[in-house]
Amino acid sequence: MTTLLQFSGHQHLRHRLVLSILSGKHVRIDKIRPEDKNPGLRDYEISLLRLLEKVTNGTIIEISVTGTAILLKPGIISGGPLTHDCPLSRSIGYYLEPLVMLAPFSKTPFQITLRGITTDENDLSVDLFRTVTLPHLQLFGVSEGLELRIKKRGAPPEGGGEVQFLCPVVKQVKTLNFVEPGKIKRIRGVAHAVRVNPQFSNRMIEASRSILNRYIPDIYLYSDVYKGEESGKSPGYALSLLAESTTSAIHCAEAISKPGVAPEDIGLEASRALMAEVNLGGCVDRKHQILVLLMMVLGSEDVGRCRMGEPTPRTIQFLRDVREFFGTSFKIVPAEPVSTQLLYSCYGTGYVNANRALA
Amino acid sequence: MEDRPHKAHRPAQSGAKAEKKDKGKGKEKQKGFNEKAFAPKSGRRADRQGRRNVERDQTRLHVPLVNRTPEDEPPPVIVAIVGPPGVGKTTLLKSLVRRYAKQTLNDVKGPVTVVGGKKRRLTFIECNNDLNSMIDIGKIADLVLLMIDGSFGFEMETFEFLNILQSHGFPKVIGVLSHLDLIKKAATLRATKKALKKRFWTEIYQGAKLFYLSGVLNGRYPDSEIMNLSRFISVMKFRPLVFRNTHSYVLADRLEDLTPRELVRTSKGKCDRTVTVYGYVRGTNLRMGTKVHIPGVGDLEMKSVTVLGDPCPMPDADSEKRRKLSEKKKLLIHAPMSDVGGVMYDKDAVWVNVPGSFTRGNTDVPQGEGEQMVMDLQDVNSTLEDAVARSQIRLLGTSSRNLTVENDVGMEDDGDDELDLDLDSQAGSDLEDDDSGIDSDPEDDDDADDREDRIQDPRSTGRSTHRNVTRILPSSNKPQHTNVEYADSDSDLGDDDAGNFGIVGGRVRFSGDDDDHNLPSDEDEGADVEAEEDAGETEIVPKWKQNLAERARLTSDRSSRRKDWTKLIYSTSLTPKQILNGQEENALEGDEEVDEDDFFQIKRRADADQDEVLDRSKDALAAEELRRWEDEERLESIRHLFITGGDTPGGNGDDGEGEVFGDEDGEDDAEDDGDEVASPEDPETSRASALAAKKEALKRKFDEEYDDPESSKLDFYEAAKDEMAQQLALNRAEFAGLDADARALVEGFRPGQYVRIELANVPCELMEHFDPAYPIVVGGLLPAEERLGYVQVRIKRHRWFTRTLKTNDPLILSLGWRRFQTVPIYSLDDHSIRMRMLKYTPEHMHCYATFYGPVSLPNTGFCAFNALGAETPGFRVSATGVVLNIDRSVKIVKKLKLTGVPYKIYKNTAFVKDMFNSALEVVKFEGANIRTVSGIRGQIKKAMPKPDGAFRATFEDKVLMSDIIFLRAWYSVQPRKFYNPVTSLLLSDKTHWTGMRLTGQVRRDEGLKTPLNVNSTYKRIERTPRRFNPLVVPKKLQAQLPYASKPKLMTAQRGQTYLQKRAVVMEPEERKAVALLQQMRALRKDQVARRKEKKEEKKEERRKKMEKEEAVKSQKEKEKRKEYMRVAGQKNKRASEAEEGGGRRKRRKT
Repeated sequence: MTTLLQFSGHQHLRHRLVLSILSGKHVRIDKIRPEDKNPGLRDYEISLLRLLEKVTNGTIIEISVTGTAILLKPGIISGGPLTHDCPLSRSIGYYLEPLVMLAPFSKTPFQITLRGITTDENDLSVDLFRTVTLPHLQLFGVSEGLELRIKKRGAPPEGGGEVQFLCPVVKQVKTLNFVEPGKIKRIRGVAHAVRVNPQFSNRMIEASRSILNRYIPDIYLYSDVYKGEESGKSPGYALSLLAESTTSAIHCAEAISKPGVAPEDIGLEASRALMAEVNLGGCVDRKHQILVLLMMVLGSEDVGRCRMGEPTPRTIQFLRDVREFFGTSFKIVPAEPVSTQLLYSCYGTGYVNANRALA
Repeated sequence: MEDRPHKAHRPAQSGAKAEKKDKGKGKEKQKGFNEKAFAPKSGRRADRQGRRNVERDQTRLHVPLVNRTPEDEPPPVIVAIVGPPGVGKTTLLKSLVRRYAKQTLNDVKGPVTVVGGKKRRLTFIECNNDLNSMIDIGKIADLVLLMIDGSFGFEMETFEFLNILQSHGFPKVIGVLSHLDLIKKAATLRATKKALKKRFWTEIYQGAKLFYLSGVLNGRYPDSEIMNLSRFISVMKFRPLVFRNTHSYVLADRLEDLTPRELVRTSKGKCDRTVTVYGYVRGTNLRMGTKVHIPGVGDLEMKSVTVLGDPCPMPDADSEKRRKLSEKKKLLIHAPMSDVGGVMYDKDAVWVNVPGSFTRGNTDVPQGEGEQMVMDLQDVNSTLEDAVARSQIRLLGTSSRNLTVENDVGMEDDGDDELDLDLDSQAGSDLEDDDSGIDSDPEDDDDADDREDRIQDPRSTGRSTHRNVTRILPSSNKPQHTNVEYADSDSDLGDDDAGNFGIVGGRVRFSGDDDDHNLPSDEDEGADVEAEEDAGETEIVPKWKQNLAERARLTSDRSSRRKDWTKLIYSTSLTPKQILNGQEENALEGDEEVDEDDFFQIKRRADADQDEVLDRSKDALAAEELRRWEDEERLESIRHLFITGGDTPGGNGDDGEGEVFGDEDGEDDAEDDGDEVASPEDPETSRASALAAKKEALKRKFDEEYDDPESSKLDFYEAAKDEMAQQLALNRAEFAGLDADARALVEGFRPGQYVRIELANVPCELMEHFDPAYPIVVGGLLPAEERLGYVQVRIKRHRWFTRTLKTNDPLILSLGWRRFQTVPIYSLDDHSIRMRMLKYTPEHMHCYATFYGPVSLPNTGFCAFNALGAETPGFRVSATGVVLNIDRSVKIVKKLKLTGVPYKIYKNTAFVKDMFNSALEVVKFEGANIRTVSGIRGQIKKAMPKPDGAFRATFEDKVLMSDIIFLRAWYSVQPRKFYNPVTSLLLSDKTHWTGMRLTGQVRRDEGLKTPLNVNSTYKRIERTPRRFNPLVVPKKLQAQLPYASKPKLMTAQRGQTYLQKRAVVMEPEERKAVALLQQMRALRKDQVARRKEKKEEKKEERRKKMEKEEAVKSQKEKEKRKEYMRVAGQKNKRASEAEEGGGRRKRRKT
């Protein structure tokens, strides 16, 4: 009855799976690392598939014998209280990202506990999820009861962190009309250090302030300390920063500890990355382009507009995949004659959360 | 006389009038509103009045709904004419069509679209008496003209239709009473009207509009009455219905079969067809990539959608001007299924309507010019291609060579010419987008040509051959030709011109050396590509081509920095990285082509680097990018992005990107397209206007804050409506500038556009058994609705449906667009703990039903039927309800009691057997609660090894050997996965669709007997009276008990007691008194007995009397009944006679 979409390659696996579950179209992904020494799906990808199977009802996932092809027949998103242990090869951010996209459209509110690494260099840290991603979701009317609780922190390689993600259920997301980037009015940040000298976070903060202080006075960088059980199994520290504009556009950056690098350098790196991000401008930063564009597609049958910087390679592939799944494409024009920023506008598909029960 | 001025008016200075005037002056508004009269007398009353006013205001309000139908060019309003057969539907339709289009239709079939006014078009459609048609019509009609036979009254179908409407969103309904001329007596007429109106109002709402049509004149209803009705139709306002506001749909007014004739012939007409349907898009935007459902057929894939010219356009100022006097009477009418005369062209066929009989070879009959032309066209035996090849056309006067076509050019046949045209026009428009600002004149000409092509496109297929449907049809979205080869000179195109990308997808293959002999249409394709080729070769080229190279280079240089992101992302096959790096497709493909010639190819690792790349959401921080931010000046340069910074980028440290900005400044001024609002040509004015706007905003803010804060505040309702209006305005404005194709890509096909939808794999029966009397609705499906799953609904049996509904009996549902048969399980919520199965639907109460079928969004209404056939007696709508929940699994349980008997009892412990079959089963139930019939509760403890399935259990008291012990468990029930769409449109006899039958029905049809299970038969239960042993308290225990608790065991007294055996001797007075008392008692007794006897006598008398009366009464009753039956029989007889005489058909009276 439903159509089957074909993709190949291991790249962009997450958003393809998410789009498949949301649109209900079956998807077949083949040629997953066929010529690698270790062909097929990685452990974290399999764990992701298991997680998706957990949060949905009626999903059928078939993995070929060699592991180089999968077939996903999505069910409905059921949500509810769940627990998932993430493998240590990827951080929790890897799993949270698709969950954030699915959670507002589930049958019952999401209450999922994820265990593993909370911060690493590949994916968004849980701090950024809490401070940046969730506010982005609020733009679309998903706000009441939206929360990410960081119960324990876990630095790589051993992890041991734990977060709880709570998300309410909506009937339909609101149409976004966000074209005014505004000016940056405040900078916030979270510095944390686990199983190392607690002074490390202060050192990071001080170094970061040396750059940021020149712009605005409204800077609060929190030093978040976790002790004992809550601090995970490995030592590590990181600084995540976000800059909020007058129109509540948020840009973020973070830097995490590397062996042999002083905490001051981490602080500087984070603030410089933030400056680079701020310089790109727009209403949404590069890391959240996909989330915002997806929610725009899923909006009511009205025109949604958003101003962003140039699309990242992931975003470009995402836009193409969205067209496959939802038959919708974006109009992308320069926001101003003299600017690298672009104005993305699309006509929402009028996606209604069919999973939500009536009364 | 004429030019003398009129005498001026001189008001009366005295008299009554003057006095009146004076009086009026004293008090303002003598006759108007008297405040005092309506002022409340007390505070309490004022309060009450205030409350009442507010409440009344609230009742006026409705939940604000967004209307997705565009206001400027809405689709025609669907006016459905519904009623029982013989009520005058066709007559009404003809009358209305004549009123609007001034044309008389002889044979109305399918929808008829006419222009109904300046801003309104109407599509009339007649609904036949089939329930399936009524369901489909009920889902799409905006306005229903419900026809009722005044001389007969309401019929069952009318009520059924109203119930269908109710469950699918109630459209507007106007009642039309016909056949009123059959009622001769004025008083009866009045009474009938009144009675019918009352009933109608209870069905619809109090005050619903009901029209009376008195009689038929010249085969039409009286013009004045129709005029009246049409006025009502034209001012009717429609509130958007939720379902239609979320789904797009098309009422097909035409249907064509595009399957290759050869295929049909070889498969003997049994192959799946390719079908095009035509109609106006309604509801929301129709998008490619979604599926559609045709009720009665099934889910279908849209192969392509094309916008056609509006066959019945709304009149505008221009068209009104062009309308000639002679044409004045011929108003527009679009009814392809009916016989509206004339010739019609469209993409797939040409239709010539020749009145009278017509045979082709008939030469003695003089032929008209048009007929001659068409016959000539049919005689043509050379293709357009041949004609072009033979012709000596020069594209321009200055062209040096004729346009030629080489025969071996392509594998493509003549059909592709058109494809080229189509694609070229696309390409042309692409070019327009890119560099319309600097287009030079020759190109503009070409573009103009293209545009013409494009406009003619839908009609341009009226070709030499009559109808060659085998060719591949051009589609706006999917270019079919994907293998692309370029002229070899392409590879040296170093520039990154965005214009190239658009045309890549659908180029026609042509080899590199013969690019002079291209098809004529190829010339204007991508000017720059041609130019590059020509630059390399010094051949004789047309003049207009010569300077193209420079031009193109100029263009590409200028637009090099500006990427057309939409095009890059959606219409090229570049990888995301390449897009970002500004790479270009041609160069890339050129590389790849090189090794295609070799037989052996070196296997490259296609994405060697990709394998290393992780799927990461956080891009790695580039070291050099970070290093750049070490620079103080660089840091200063973004100060303007903070609130503390100035307005303009004041940074002077322009490295890298800064230069880019500078460069773009200069270019953008020159090449800016028209669609940018700001005009950077004059920064002065723009700054001034910006300043003015800012001031305006500030002033408004100030006003809101200080001047009048009340007025700016809207109440919730107004605010919500305002927001919707704003969003709608934005929706209209955002894509207004885009060209049609791009717009279709982004937002789909808007409501009001006339489209042609090509559907693939349509069952052949649809075409074979096509009957225009049955409406074809193409309903768009939401992504969620394409799936199948378990649907939980709240359902209530209709109170007019005579039987209860049984679990696991098939039921036909009309839900969303679909009609299907499924097998529901009814259930009720048992104390919010479990969903408990019901065998039958409860009376007068909602219950839940769960079935397997296509998913519909929660809150969608539905109605259910047990049978759809016309011969079904009684009311056919069996239930109505609403969708609650959608899932992939269900939890419905029914009660299961496992019973066992004790085989050994110790005190409170008992060993129970016969409940389970094995120890494993027992283990499953360890700890479960059990109970005896007498109410002693207990628990399963442990399985016993000896008899299989026996277990030890403990109870709160000692159980008896005769006790039955049971375990109350819940057994989960799954609905059967049965989904059977009602494919009524595929039948030759559309009214007789049969789905799954009931078991009983199957047995009846097959003549089978119901199998009888011996264990299920009822037998007499022998119950011996139970004997209880007396309670025995052991002696020892008795001895220990306290006296109060000791059983008081005393043997019965044998001898007479003293009271019994004593002799009583009375005194004489005493004896006398006793004797007297005895006598009195005897007297009294006798009296009572006699009285009773008398009463009995009286009663007997009365009974006899009553009996007599009863007999008389029953005799009368009998006579009455006899009389009634006689009259009824006569009526029946008359009716059957009328039917035999070909009169109106039999109806089912309410």
